[in-house]
Amino acid sequence: MYFLQKSKTGLLLLGTYLLLFQGTQLLAQAPSTHFEKVSNKKLGVTFKNQLKEDEQNNILRYEYFYNGGGVAVGDLNNDGWEDLFFTGNMSSNKVFRNLGNWKFEDLTKTTGLGGKSTWTTGVSMADVNGDGLLDIYVCYSGKGPASERGNELWINQGNFQFKEEAKSYGLADNSNSTQALFFDFDKDGDLDMYLLNHNIEVINELEFSEVKDIRHPFAGDKLYRNNNGSFTDISEQAGIKGSALGFGLAVISSDINEDGWPDILVTNDYIEPDYLYINNGDGTFSDQITDYFQHISHFSMGADISDINNDGKLDIYTLDMLPEDNERQKLLYGPENYEQYNLMIQEGFHHQNMRNMLQLNQGEGNFSEIAQMANISNSDWSWSALFFDATNDGNKDLFISNGYFRDYTNRDFLKYKGDYYFKQAIANEKADTLHLVTTMTSTPIHNYIFENKGNLEFSDRTIDWGFEEKGFSSGAAYADLDNDGDLDLVVNNINEFASIYENKSKGNNWIQLRLQSNDKNTFGIGSKIEVKTKENSQIFELQTVRGFQSSVSPRLNIGLGKNDVIDIIKIIWPDGTNQVLENIAANQVLEISKENQTVANSRTEIVPILTENSNFPNFTPAIENVNDFKRQPLMLTMPSHIGPIMAKGDLNADGNPELFIGGSKGQSGKIFSFENSSWKPYTGFKSTPEFTDAVAIFEDFNGDGKQDLFAGSGGYHDYIGSDEALQDRLYLNDGTGTLTRSTTFPDYKFSTGTAQAIDVNGDGDLDLFVGAKLIPGKYPIISESKLLVNDGKGNFVDQTIKYLPKEGKIGLITSSVAIDLNKDGLMDLVLAGEFLPITALINNGESFENQTSTYFDQEFSGWWGSLAKADMDGDGDEDLIAGNFGMNSQFETNEGKTLRLYASDFDQNGSIDPILECFVADKMYPFPSRDELLDQMASMRSRFTDYASYSKATMEDLFTKEELENSQVLEANTLKSFYLENTGNGFKEKELPRIAQSFPIYSILPIDVTGDGILDLILGGNQTYTRIRIGLIDAGLGLVLEGDGKGNFTPLTPAQSGLAIKGDIKSMIPIESESGTQILFGINQKPLRSFQLK
Amino acid sequence: MKISNKYFWLFLLISLIWIGKVNANPKNPNWPKLYTEELFHITEVMVTDVASPPVAARIYAYSNLASYLVIKETNQSFDHEDLLSETYLSDQNLEIPNPTLTSPEFAAIYAMLKVGEAIMPSGYLLKEKQEEWVEAALRAKIINKKSLQAHIDFATLVAKKVMEVAKKDGYLQLSTLTRYTPQKGEGFWYPTPPAYIAAVEPEWKTIKPFFIENLEAYKPAPMAPFDMTEGSSFHKQLMEVYTTTNELNDERKLIANFWDCNPFKVEFSGHMAIGVKKISPGGHWMGITGIAAQKANLSFAETSYIHALVGMTLHDAFISCWKAKYDTDRIRPETVINQKVDQRWRPLLQTPPFPEYTSGHSVISRASAVVLTGYFGDNFEFIDSSETYFGLPKRPFKSFLLASEEAAISRLYGGIHFRDAIEEGVKQGEKIGDMIWNKIQ
Repeated sequence: MYFLQKSKTGLLLLGTYLLLFQGTQLLAQAPSTHFEKVSNKKLGVTFKNQLKEDEQNNILRYEYFYNGGGVAVGDLNNDGWEDLFFTGNMSSNKVFRNLGNWKFEDLTKTTGLGGKSTWTTGVSMADVNGDGLLDIYVCYSGKGPASERGNELWINQGNFQFKEEAKSYGLADNSNSTQALFFDFDKDGDLDMYLLNHNIEVINELEFSEVKDIRHPFAGDKLYRNNNGSFTDISEQAGIKGSALGFGLAVISSDINEDGWPDILVTNDYIEPDYLYINNGDGTFSDQITDYFQHISHFSMGADISDINNDGKLDIYTLDMLPEDNERQKLLYGPENYEQYNLMIQEGFHHQNMRNMLQLNQGEGNFSEIAQMANISNSDWSWSALFFDATNDGNKDLFISNGYFRDYTNRDFLKYKGDYYFKQAIANEKADTLHLVTTMTSTPIHNYIFENKGNLEFSDRTIDWGFEEKGFSSGAAYADLDNDGDLDLVVNNINEFASIYENKSKGNNWIQLRLQSNDKNTFGIGSKIEVKTKENSQIFELQTVRGFQSSVSPRLNIGLGKNDVIDIIKIIWPDGTNQVLENIAANQVLEISKENQTVANSRTEIVPILTENSNFPNFTPAIENVNDFKRQPLMLTMPSHIGPIMAKGDLNADGNPELFIGGSKGQSGKIFSFENSSWKPYTGFKSTPEFTDAVAIFEDFNGDGKQDLFAGSGGYHDYIGSDEALQDRLYLNDGTGTLTRSTTFPDYKFSTGTAQAIDVNGDGDLDLFVGAKLIPGKYPIISESKLLVNDGKGNFVDQTIKYLPKEGKIGLITSSVAIDLNKDGLMDLVLAGEFLPITALINNGESFENQTSTYFDQEFSGWWGSLAKADMDGDGDEDLIAGNFGMNSQFETNEGKTLRLYASDFDQNGSIDPILECFVADKMYPFPSRDELLDQMASMRSRFTDYASYSKATMEDLFTKEELENSQVLEANTLKSFYLENTGNGFKEKELPRIAQSFPIYSILPIDVTGDGILDLILGGNQTYTRIRIGLIDAGLGLVLEGDGKGNFTPLTPAQSGLAIKGDIKSMIPIESESGTQILFGINQKPLRSFQLK
Repeated sequence: MKISNKYFWLFLLISLIWIGKVNANPKNPNWPKLYTEELFHITEVMVTDVASPPVAARIYAYSNLASYLVIKETNQSFDHEDLLSETYLSDQNLEIPNPTLTSPEFAAIYAMLKVGEAIMPSGYLLKEKQEEWVEAALRAKIINKKSLQAHIDFATLVAKKVMEVAKKDGYLQLSTLTRYTPQKGEGFWYPTPPAYIAAVEPEWKTIKPFFIENLEAYKPAPMAPFDMTEGSSFHKQLMEVYTTTNELNDERKLIANFWDCNPFKVEFSGHMAIGVKKISPGGHWMGITGIAAQKANLSFAETSYIHALVGMTLHDAFISCWKAKYDTDRIRPETVINQKVDQRWRPLLQTPPFPEYTSGHSVISRASAVVLTGYFGDNFEFIDSSETYFGLPKRPFKSFLLASEEAAISRLYGGIHFRDAIEEGVKQGEKIGDMIWNKIQ
């Protein structure tokens, strides 16, 4: 109608329409993805998980009241169409037969599959009795009597007839169950069962360790072994934990360590860490989660295991409850409780943080957690995670179902709803708990779908792909419901009809595999499938239980992108036999029956380049318990923990290197000599333990031909502004190698960040530039960096005012390099620091001039931790490598987003209040939580009397215009680490490879690792000492980037490089000797480590 | 229980008569009752804000001080010497040009609410109460419309003066101090289950007290050193807490709950936590002060005097007690019992989030009871109905001192204090109470 209007606009519209039409025609040939929700009425799928809150049934009585139901998908009658089964917590379960063409038939009544009135949880489809038909196992929980809780096993009789036979199989377990996983853990050809359970009472006492050793009859998980159709509970002898702390919400089997035996991941809600049960192959399992993962999600919920970057290694993803937007975050976050956190660590509960965790498998048992960098860490109260190729482009995308019916983690609820009881009491009225429950706010939120862009990056496609609808979703499963070669989605919702989304993707090729094994494990559960095309190589594990309380179809769908032929499909059956198919045409469903054809496994052993040895000095950095946030609670990282730094020289000119290893408050720095391939303490030097060494330079400062030592003092600790321990020191060599502290060295105090010994004035001796990092207790107020001029005899004069711009108040300087940028024969300086642009100071012999804009075409302000120079491209000039905070945190600087650090004594009580303003989603907000802000600034307490009022506050709501204008503001516009190529007239930037962005870089070593004569890079870093909310950033394992001599870098895996170093690497130094080169790694509060280059 | 019932009815009867009198005779309102009711509005805001026990005492001290100051500056007569001459305020210029006010009482309560507004985070909630007070006073003809503004102005001025001194007492400097870090080693305090709340006001000793000139002088006797050897004083006391709490009879349970006064008890249900709130221990003793003032039928001037005195006493007692707590930094029974004796043991009351020695209830209850006894005399019987709205029964006491002794021992029954923290706490409180009472004679 619209286009037929005889008006000018009508014609115009018609014109636009035609253009659009042509546009879509063109697009139709390019791959496109979109999901469309199919109406329940049209489908005939009228299932709704309806909850009814009353006095007996509510969240205060049963904490898993809003966890929702599950979905199982599978072809129950082997007609080629995937059928559906839903569980309802309080409502009847339902089964639907797929009639094709998006029509389903409700067969609940005739099958009797409706279940019982007991609280129903998860469901799994599996061929339990090995007759080729999928059976259904339904789990029950709730507060009711155990006798009513027995789980059900519905044995498929064919033709949509089922018989409940849990008892006769020995599987009528009456635990508080979440879901069952059927898998063949002992590789005897039949399916065993892992039963995931949860407690119905939460234990908050962290020191209640007795509870860990006692099996809880209903809360503990169980492992059942299948002995010819009779299942026996072997949990205890198999090493399965079963304590009252178990709050299992997801279980997946996967061969994590690639030894051919299926391992198990169990996620646990609350304080109990997740379990990573490694299958010992002898009928037992060992939980090795703390060895594999350095930190894990806290309130773990759903999970999935899949190779997300097509490197042939399975990555592990667990969900938690961190929201994406500022408002919901601010309503959720309370005070940082370091004591509780420490107790959690001390009692063996491991590092846990409230956000989704993606454990990237780097091979050989090394995992790096990178969910934040991958952009999939915040998806609110999340239940199901499913990696599947929604676009059929060969990369696995990610669907997350989420939502919680009541906002009961809302902090206002904790703090102010208690007032309800108080007010009722004063009014002499009875408090009605149900009233409290039903007045809790309810916020529906949309599910998330993310496109896998490759390169460890996911892009939120929720809105473009059709998932904008808000609600409360729980279990979910994918399956090709219309047999068109792409995966559709089925989602179970609370108080709403289940959602079924048709995948309308077009343009990419696919293949579907249906495995058929010749034993009792008829569907070949646990098989591994490798699919190789011209473009990529993908791996899959056939496991149907994934996500949350749900199981997907055993029919695999594999996206092939543009490839219409698959080069190789390799099936590794659970018993280890291989089967290879070659040159397979795309776009078909392939039935693969197991043949006993064994193909040799062609696994190539990789020989690492660096090999570890124990040849390092006897110096173990002391454990430091100082918590800088007790002094300035609004800081983001702790400036105390900077060591150990290292520097090498030759003090006694005997050709053997001396190595200085920096101390930290309480432990003196020391010098060691390397003689005859071994390290000995050097006797000519003694420091004292009050200093925290931040920088050390061996140079001849007094012109006697012998090396002296400059030691810059840093740290934070409890140093006061005038602390003698902040004084930098010059140790002069008496000619015999004995170092004595110079008494004439200029007196100044700040926490030193960096220093350079350069001849500033061209008089032939070495002067000193000393970069100030911070003033302890007054972070981030900028202190004066120093320029100290040498009289040639080691006497220095402070000439900062003459030489340095802004009287030295340049920034929070952490690192520097000296390069003659303008080739005038005088050394210039490049500086980097926290919330500071990479700064070029050009030395004209009289002073240094800030010429940053001449050398950099844009401002690179960052949270820089390191800077190195080397001629990486072999063109004769020195390039830069700049190490930044990285992209693996809640802080974002993509697409023009910045971080701003405000500092002022806002409440005028004598303390500096550093307040970070950062982007949360698409707007800037203050980073501190309400509790953190109010604790530091009493004046804010009356401004934000509840969490709601603070949840929308911006900096402008916190402070007046004048207050903001009068404060010191520092900015960072990027958190990425860069290679900066020196083009002769400036620097051209190039991002370091993505994995190098997954941790803060505090040490950079340009060195030829691979032995090809071309410089490579070793990057060290990580940050353990962050606010609890930021959590450990520990994805770095000592990363080797192989250089090609043209400024391109390829990351090496730990297996290739030989480096898998856990901890915060602060320094690296190569030591050359007759036996080759060894590289020493200085790791914060850990022993040194030494690696030999090949 | 019979006695208490009898008292209750008597009490109710008197109350009813007094209420009738307010309406019937504007010249003679029941001032102690009105005072108590208006002060309770401040208590309600403290509950909303979850003021910790020491913070609550500071709020009571300064808000009641404002009321007292209005009465003093309008030259009303008191039965006792000026309270302030013996406090740190004696050298502060609190002189205020005194106007002629028809109802200093009205202005006093208004000033009290004004300080409450300024001193508490959610003080704005008292704006409504101020308006209601104005309306009620107009209605009861305590004040007329013409002179209203002059009263409000004067009250506001006094409140401002009080806030000026309050702002300089060290409270605003607290956030500049390095936060508490638990000490390493055995026997030191560590946050307790279930919420592991961080240490409450570890630097409270830096707050200026009213009467105490040297905090060291009120240091309690040394506590039993941490020693798990059987037969040691510490071990005996530990086992006493354990067995006492395990064998509580109904009366002892009632006593423990009666004196719980935990401003923020966290109850968990899965991810959900609800803060169950009660008035602070200081609030309980302010309640008793009001009950006694009503029973003794005090004048307004005397009502404001005794409230200000108890408020300031509470404040000083808390400062002294908090200093002791963080100087000694002693472990709570729950922690050590769970670590060494019985992991399953839980105290009857939720352990409060600060170190154990000395018991705050013991110190502040005794100090308050001493000044109340000084003022009202010993064997002043009263029925404590301070917390009836929490479902706690009314409880009759023969004297303030007996009430304070029960408050002290209740902490043992509750499983949150050792005996020496109670006994030495009582002595500490007595010393502070005596000093204050002697000073103001």
